[in-house]
Amino acid sequence: MTGTRGGFEALDPCVHCGFCLPACPTYLATGDENDSPRGRIHLIRALERGEIQPTDRALVEHLDACLGCRGCEPVCPSGVGYGRGLEAARVRLAAAGRLPLEVRAILAVFARAWLLRPALLLARWFRATGFPDRLSGHSPIQFLLGMLASTTAGPSGSTPKPAPATRGRVALFRGCVMDGLFGHVHEATRRTLAANGYEIVEVDGQTCCGALHDHAGDRAGAAALAEANLRAFAGRADFLVVNSAGCGALLKDLPHLIPSDAARALAAKVRDVTELLAAAGPRPGAPLAERVCYDAPCHLQHAQGIHREPLQVLNAIPDLEIALLPGFDRCCGSAGLYGVLHPELSRAILGEKVAAIAAATPQPSLVLTGNPGCLMQIGAGLRAAELPIGVAHPVELLDRSYRAAGYYH
Amino acid sequence: MSVSILESLRSIAKSAVISGPDGVPVVRPDSAEAIAAVLGHASEQGWRARVEGRGSWMPTDAPADFVIRTGGLDRVVSVAPADLVATVQAGATLETIDQSLAAHRCWLPIDPPGGDSRSLGSVLATATAGPLRHRFGPVKDHVLGTTVVTGDGRIVKAGGIVVKNVAGYDLTKIQIGGFGAFGVVVEANLRVRAVPAARALVVATGTLDLLLDQARLLREAAIDLASLELCSPTLLGGDRWTLIVQATGTAPGVAAEIDRVRSVASGASFEGLGPGQASRLNRAVAQAALDGPVSLRAGVLAAGTPDLVDTLGETIGHRRLSASLGAGGVRWVGNPTEAHVRALRHRFAEREVPLTLERAPWAFRRAVGHFGAFREGVRPIAARLRSTFDPKHVLVSAIEATE
Amino acid sequence: MAPANTDRPDPGLLAALGAIVGPKWVRSHLTERRPFEADGLPTHASVPMAVVLPSSREQVIAVLKLLAERNVPWVARGAGTGLSGGALAGGNAVLIPLTRMNRILSIDPVRQRAVIEPGVVNARLSDAAAPFGLQYAPDPSSQTACTIGGNVAENAGGPHCLKYGTTTNHVVALEAVLPDGSLARLGSPHGEPWGPDLVGLFVGSEGMFGIALEITVRLVPLPTTIRTLLADFATVRDATEAVGSIVAAGIVPAALEMMDQACIAAVEASIYAAGYPTDAAAVLLVELDGATASVEAEAALVHELLRAHRARGVRSAETATDRARLWQGRKKAFGAMGRVAPDLVVQDAVVPRSSLPSILETIGTIGRKYRLTVCNVFHAGDGNLHPNICYDRRDSALADRVARASAEIMEACVAAGGSITGEHGVGADKIDYMPMIFDSTSLAMMCDVRRVFDPANRANPNKVIPIHACREWREPQ
Ligand SMILES: Cc1cc2nc3c(=O)[nH]c(=O)nc-3n(C[C@H](O)[C@H](O)[C@H](O)COP(=O)(O)OP(=O)(O)OC[C@H]3O[C@@H](n4cnc5c(N)ncnc54)[C@H](O)[C@@H]3O)c2cc1C
Ligand code: SF4
Ligand code: SF4
Repeated sequence: MTGTRGGFEALDPCVHCGFCLPACPTYLATGDENDSPRGRIHLIRALERGEIQPTDRALVEHLDACLGCRGCEPVCPSGVGYGRGLEAARVRLAAAGRLPLEVRAILAVFARAWLLRPALLLARWFRATGFPDRLSGHSPIQFLLGMLASTTAGPSGSTPKPAPATRGRVALFRGCVMDGLFGHVHEATRRTLAANGYEIVEVDGQTCCGALHDHAGDRAGAAALAEANLRAFAGRADFLVVNSAGCGALLKDLPHLIPSDAARALAAKVRDVTELLAAAGPRPGAPLAERVCYDAPCHLQHAQGIHREPLQVLNAIPDLEIALLPGFDRCCGSAGLYGVLHPELSRAILGEKVAAIAAATPQPSLVLTGNPGCLMQIGAGLRAAELPIGVAHPVELLDRSYRAAGYYH
Repeated sequence: MSVSILESLRSIAKSAVISGPDGVPVVRPDSAEAIAAVLGHASEQGWRARVEGRGSWMPTDAPADFVIRTGGLDRVVSVAPADLVATVQAGATLETIDQSLAAHRCWLPIDPPGGDSRSLGSVLATATAGPLRHRFGPVKDHVLGTTVVTGDGRIVKAGGIVVKNVAGYDLTKIQIGGFGAFGVVVEANLRVRAVPAARALVVATGTLDLLLDQARLLREAAIDLASLELCSPTLLGGDRWTLIVQATGTAPGVAAEIDRVRSVASGASFEGLGPGQASRLNRAVAQAALDGPVSLRAGVLAAGTPDLVDTLGETIGHRRLSASLGAGGVRWVGNPTEAHVRALRHRFAEREVPLTLERAPWAFRRAVGHFGAFREGVRPIAARLRSTFDPKHVLVSAIEATE
Repeated sequence: MAPANTDRPDPGLLAALGAIVGPKWVRSHLTERRPFEADGLPTHASVPMAVVLPSSREQVIAVLKLLAERNVPWVARGAGTGLSGGALAGGNAVLIPLTRMNRILSIDPVRQRAVIEPGVVNARLSDAAAPFGLQYAPDPSSQTACTIGGNVAENAGGPHCLKYGTTTNHVVALEAVLPDGSLARLGSPHGEPWGPDLVGLFVGSEGMFGIALEITVRLVPLPTTIRTLLADFATVRDATEAVGSIVAAGIVPAALEMMDQACIAAVEASIYAAGYPTDAAAVLLVELDGATASVEAEAALVHELLRAHRARGVRSAETATDRARLWQGRKKAFGAMGRVAPDLVVQDAVVPRSSLPSILETIGTIGRKYRLTVCNVFHAGDGNLHPNICYDRRDSALADRVARASAEIMEACVAAGGSITGEHGVGADKIDYMPMIFDSTSLAMMCDVRRVFDPANRANPNKVIPIHACREWREPQ
């Protein structure tokens, strides 16, 4: 669909220089060329040429081990489009029918709201019991509980004072996990946008973005979900705002799933919430004398090229001390289903990040990041390490500052 | 036997062969090929050869069947001021080299103990650097390539004449500080510098502790110096220690650094010397290294120098001691016993500090060796290298102790 | 891509290797061996028989002992950024990447030394030393990716080696495992060799003497003041003559780099556009560092000299951001050329500085003769040229012209008194050029020295020294 060779051509400029190696979390974790961008490109090229079969166990293992974080792209001097090449390969692999059973099951659930909603409802109910919070820890099961506990909201529940909505109509993309577990982030998004002069509209008929499917090589599944969203959102607002970096990246790249003008038009309206807030200033809130650290989600910085905006949002909070710790721009190891499928590697990658946070002096009270997977992964990691540090979306903190400033009823 | 050696040498070496003072034949070859012919023959015959430059640093009293004097190879072959490289024969003295270079406004920043009269070959074989190593590095940093005749008469070239080169193994390194065990260096390509626009030298005198302290302050202030050399009272013939500080570079740069030296100093005053006085002092430091039969150098870092100087003081006295308080390294000249050297080596080894014997009468060298006990795994490599470069052990050298 | 190496090691060997490093760190499936078939120079490729990834010194020693017992050849590998095909293993050789051995064992700010494992990435060491006001000076352009073990093997250089020296000037001690599995502790922390200078000999031995297991390096203070100047010239000759005049004036810049028009064009067309004037025949990047007063004085002098050699404009950067921008294009030039065509020949010849003007003209003539675009980006201060030729290797006639042009360029550099490699090493790529600069006796001596460390020639076989050179002096002594 992209180019004449299905995306493989994006790898052509690779000169094998190796500049991407140190940017790749999986290579840093294993030290194996097979788990590096350059090594994977080597494998993918051989796959394209037919020298390796899409069913080859080793090929599948090493491509599966890729987080798809695209940390390798910005450091590449030759401009290799790794993400495109990887997707091309994953489509081949999926076509060869090698998606593992558990992946297919999970994707099936995400593709069907009637299956997903109850599951998330159950999770919310369980979260409310407080068990996940108390039982979270180091073992795989405890880690999952920690992930769930990390979705807990802070205090909320107020409505913005009416402000003149001059900056345009904004439709909120609710998504699946965000909607199910991060309702409080949606609330904060609505309030902070309204406080900055945006009008919020609710759009029905929307569904999961399909990023999980797309990354797994299930292009048909992804395209079906994309069609549904296109139907729901087309012509509904000036902007389609997303507060999950992963969903935002996919929606901005909609035309590669649906090569139509309508898709291109919609994609052009997609904004991360921090982009809209930054464009508005944003309006300064009340001081919060806290020390926090910011962690850049891969799908925000690499896939969407958004670096400054989240920090601009946080800078609207007077007295807030924001630290960028070593490795803040490196993947946390969550990457969609990655944590579930490659727990060991995923935890090893997360370990580096948690160690950097633990080593920071003075210690931050919160880690801020704009993606649900990262929030859960980092949150669970901090819990497992028994660090008294919470996680939150940047807009949640802005929301708190706005509330303290009396912008809400 | 000597007579027959004398005769066969005459027939092989196409250069002068005389009978030396002790009846040992002396060859004075004037080309690499001539040395190669002689050594090739000696290797076949099983003769032992002693290589002498100017006769002060390499063993001139070692028993041997004949002597090779490198004095016939004393030319500065070429100087390329635009490339800052020069090709020099190993028998040339530093004085000769300096003169040739000066004519091209170039400079070889090597100021070894023993001074200008030393042959380049002896400086290379012993890797003896002086105070300027602080800025310009050890001897090996000045050598881009060498032509060497091996003990069995092969002429081997290594390195090149360009300032950056990684073609092939770096065989030049084996020759520098190899104490003649790995061949006879006949020619070297040197990296030289443009004569600096300005030079300055200031000195402070005082107690050992005071000067060590000053040096530490200068180090911490990261002042850009050419040398930072501490000299013991005996070395310069007084009763106080001396700290000699040199700076080279552009005039404003040198002036600024010397100002900084004075402002950072605390409790010591640095006196400036004029050019004449300065070079007399430098000469005196270099010459003092010959005022004793034995010269030792300890490979110690600047931070570990105070301790080491104390240990030397307690055991064999400070004598003629000099230390680079920036780059590190302590030189000691005096008349110790073999037992002293062994005991010190033992103590220093615990701190990973090697004590290299630079110069001594042959029997002393032979007994303690230039390096003493090697570190793990080094002895077999050194031995095999020796057999590679000099299979019949024609070249007399004490790289290993007899003990 | 190289013909697939379908050699399979005997299962016994694989099992024994697995017992040492853990089975999951032995790669024997062909698919998983493929990505190791090339280093940073993909024009050479060969697939190793097996890949084993040790993570500790004990494992490395045990692996080498095992391979010695079974008489199996092997090749060490760092990050695989080498540009001479040095880390390639073919036939029945086992490849040993050291990337998992990446611990910085100690940094001693007072003694200004660091002890590291070989897989530590060059830039990571400088990052770790920076809080102490120190840096690891050798800075190959690949420093964010290459390992210090690889740097040791290649004696890597970099832009700032003009003033600070190359890897060999910064490694003071090494713990090496020899091919028979025995350990040797070379050098000492001060740099005093403690015997013959085996550290000096090991550095630059291209992985043929053993594996560097623990490396002790010097750290040097970060300079207090840095000044970067960018000058552009209407002719290449003016630029190269300016280089000579700066050096002859006694100034040793921290770096003195040059790019010609073809290279400027490639950089400015990439996303790394640094704002170099595209109509310039050449730009010079001059960096001065050190104490403030000296830097100021030298900068003034350099400015004058650049003007005297008809520089059309001279820009000066004082802030870190401005400097980074001026350097950007230089550092990413190689990658920028990757955008021009799929394949790239990178040469690494050295000539005496004074020959730069004429050799660049010769290279231009050779390029025209073979109808090729040669981009020059290089370390002008030490005469280390990197003529790059972009091409597409699928066009075999073109590839043939590239090969012939490369050889002719090399001949011209050697004829000017130069060397065939200044920092990338000989590896597999330049082995045929060795006889251009060394006679057979000297080559044979290198063979002999290699056998001091590796009597069976099992470490990184068939690199650096042409085999025929090793026949002489072979008779038992
Ligand atoms: C874009 C680019 C720019 C470059 N710029 C420069 C530059 O400016 N200067 C420069 O000098 N080089 C440069 N290089 C070349 C390359 O980065 C260096 O040669 C580097 O030293 C290789 O390190 P590596 O870890 O990648 O080693 P590898 O390529 O993996 O291996 C190189 C050699 O080292 C041996 N080796 C590796 N580890 C060990 C060990 N522990 N013990 C013994 N032997 C070992 C291998 O057997 C092989 O022979 C550049 C390369 C690229 C791609
Ligand atoms: S940085 Fe880019 S060109 Fe270099 S190896 Fe990685 S993907 Fe290839
Ligand atoms: S996408 Fe991330 S994990 Fe995958 S190769 Fe690139 S940097 Fe590595």
